[in-house]
Amino acid sequence: MNEVLGITAAALSLGTPLVIAAAGEVVLERSGVLNIGLEGTMLSSAFAAFYVSHVTGSPWLGVLAAIFVALCVSGLTGLFALGLGADQVVVGTGMNLLCLGATGSLFFTGFARGGELLSVPVVPSTAGRIPVNGLMLFAPLLVLAAWWLLWRTRWGLAVRAAGEDPVSCAAAGHFPLRLRWQALGFAAVCAGMAGAYLSVAQTGSFAENMTAGRGFVVIAAVTFGRWTPLGSAGACLLISAAYGVQYLAKARELPIPPQLFDALPYMLALAVLIGAGRGKAGPAALAQPFEAGR
Amino acid sequence: MVPTRPILQVLCLVASSAVLAFGCQSADKPTPGKNTAGGDAEFRVALLTPGPVNDSGWSAIAYDGLLGIQEVLGARINNVVAVTPQEIKDNLRSYAQEGFDLIIGHGFEYNQHNMEIAPDFPKTVFVSSSGSETAPNVGTFRFYLEQAMYVAGVVAGRMTKSNVVGMVGGPEVPSIDSTFDAFEQGVHAVNPNCKVLRAYTGSGEDVGAAKQQSLAFIDQGADFLVHQANAAAQGVFEACKERGIYAIGTNSDQASAAPDTVLLSAVIVARPAFIKLAEDVRNGEYKGEIRLTGLSDGAVDVRWNETLKAKVPADVLKAAEETMEKIRSGELVVKKREF
Repeated sequence: MNEVLGITAAALSLGTPLVIAAAGEVVLERSGVLNIGLEGTMLSSAFAAFYVSHVTGSPWLGVLAAIFVALCVSGLTGLFALGLGADQVVVGTGMNLLCLGATGSLFFTGFARGGELLSVPVVPSTAGRIPVNGLMLFAPLLVLAAWWLLWRTRWGLAVRAAGEDPVSCAAAGHFPLRLRWQALGFAAVCAGMAGAYLSVAQTGSFAENMTAGRGFVVIAAVTFGRWTPLGSAGACLLISAAYGVQYLAKARELPIPPQLFDALPYMLALAVLIGAGRGKAGPAALAQPFEAGR
Repeated sequence: MVPTRPILQVLCLVASSAVLAFGCQSADKPTPGKNTAGGDAEFRVALLTPGPVNDSGWSAIAYDGLLGIQEVLGARINNVVAVTPQEIKDNLRSYAQEGFDLIIGHGFEYNQHNMEIAPDFPKTVFVSSSGSETAPNVGTFRFYLEQAMYVAGVVAGRMTKSNVVGMVGGPEVPSIDSTFDAFEQGVHAVNPNCKVLRAYTGSGEDVGAAKQQSLAFIDQGADFLVHQANAAAQGVFEACKERGIYAIGTNSDQASAAPDTVLLSAVIVARPAFIKLAEDVRNGEYKGEIRLTGLSDGAVDVRWNETLKAKVPADVLKAAEETMEKIRSGELVVKKREF
């Protein structure tokens, strides 16, 4: 029982930022945009939340700042990927490098020169074995919002059309680029909250590259969540639970090489991909630029 | 680190022109630490680290030492992150060709590359933190952090009520493992039945992972945690704060990071050792050697959180003090690994 509680707590604590970011990424990928730069967007947001929480003492202002920064970073991504029709993978990779370098340099010049660790105010949280903090509550709301937007609104239908066949979508009187920009905006809000969660909800601090690959995990989770909001959220929680098992195994000193557990989340991801890889594929126009009037 | 490459390219350019301009004119006997290839007699010191110097841990210590050299000796300084053997060798050569007098590689892995490069640059001194090989212009120095970790282990072993303590590491490397061995040794010296848990998250940056691993330890009953997680340490402190147990800081005095949680810190005081080293090099007095610095010369220390110290039983404080005295006098030798 103790173990189940521990793994559940770990799955929720580690899974929340993944679930939040995945809700946005699903909508975005459905519109035909693959945001490889999610990792960098989350990292920049984490730094923004950390900085503002440190300066103002209010973690919620930090969350707002994180969303703002995520919108700016995504705006830059959109400028290249949507405005100029550049290769989305290249743009995203560039954004990741830019964000890693920018946050690392800012953190270094602003805070870490003296080598001291910093603790900043965090959003309120309940105590107990499965603590729930303020930002966690947004996760189910955003997943539901993504589901409702995609499958219960006209806008969602148009977004999915923009991701399947933007030419037909445009022929039907919609504006695929505008739809993709809107989807990018929603994804940015989610990515901002996810990044903020890392710094001002989970840990109350910042470290260079503290996202540690979570953005890529989210992109993978969206793929094996079959581009559905609920499926992606489930995939995120499953991966997080696997991490929870790993920490527990190390704490219990199980005679299993720890490297095996380090690989467990990735093996799980592979297994899901093998199982779910066949059948229905993703949006047909995913990562393909669209030029209006072509 | 993104900016490495452009800097490297500029360095290479500068270095190659420096070689053309000054490489052939000096015929006198070379003195290690008197490298004038850069065109003037200015004292220059470079630092190579295995990770970003804002890690609040291993690399940050060395960077602080480098800043000390700049402030006290007025040296011109430069630093770069160099991880792969190729990066390390390229950077060593670039710095030496550009006229740096002292090049410090912060890790044992730099030692072998120093040995390879150093014969080509007899006017430059190459020093690595740890490592076992020396030459006239190649040396190493090593901080005996194990001593302070042993003392921290004695405190934790005496104060634990659950008889379970935990050690959370970032990347699994020999230098960190060696300090954990020392901590465990200290715990078992005063409390042979105490269980000592050890885990590595594999990352010195993933704060969330460090926190979850710490919570898993606390779930197993741990009531004292020590870390070697560099920048991810705040995750350990955060977990301890949430569950109301004590943590032990490492590398620098980390009481300010969690004032109600960090009871004491096992610290490396790098500045004086770095400055002394640079001074010796500048004065031409440095000989390739292995310098071991620890508790007895103040390069390693145990710093209490003064506000929490009042809650520590007097006999524990006394035990810690006695242990430190024994280590200083050489009566007690803390095991350390060579790497």
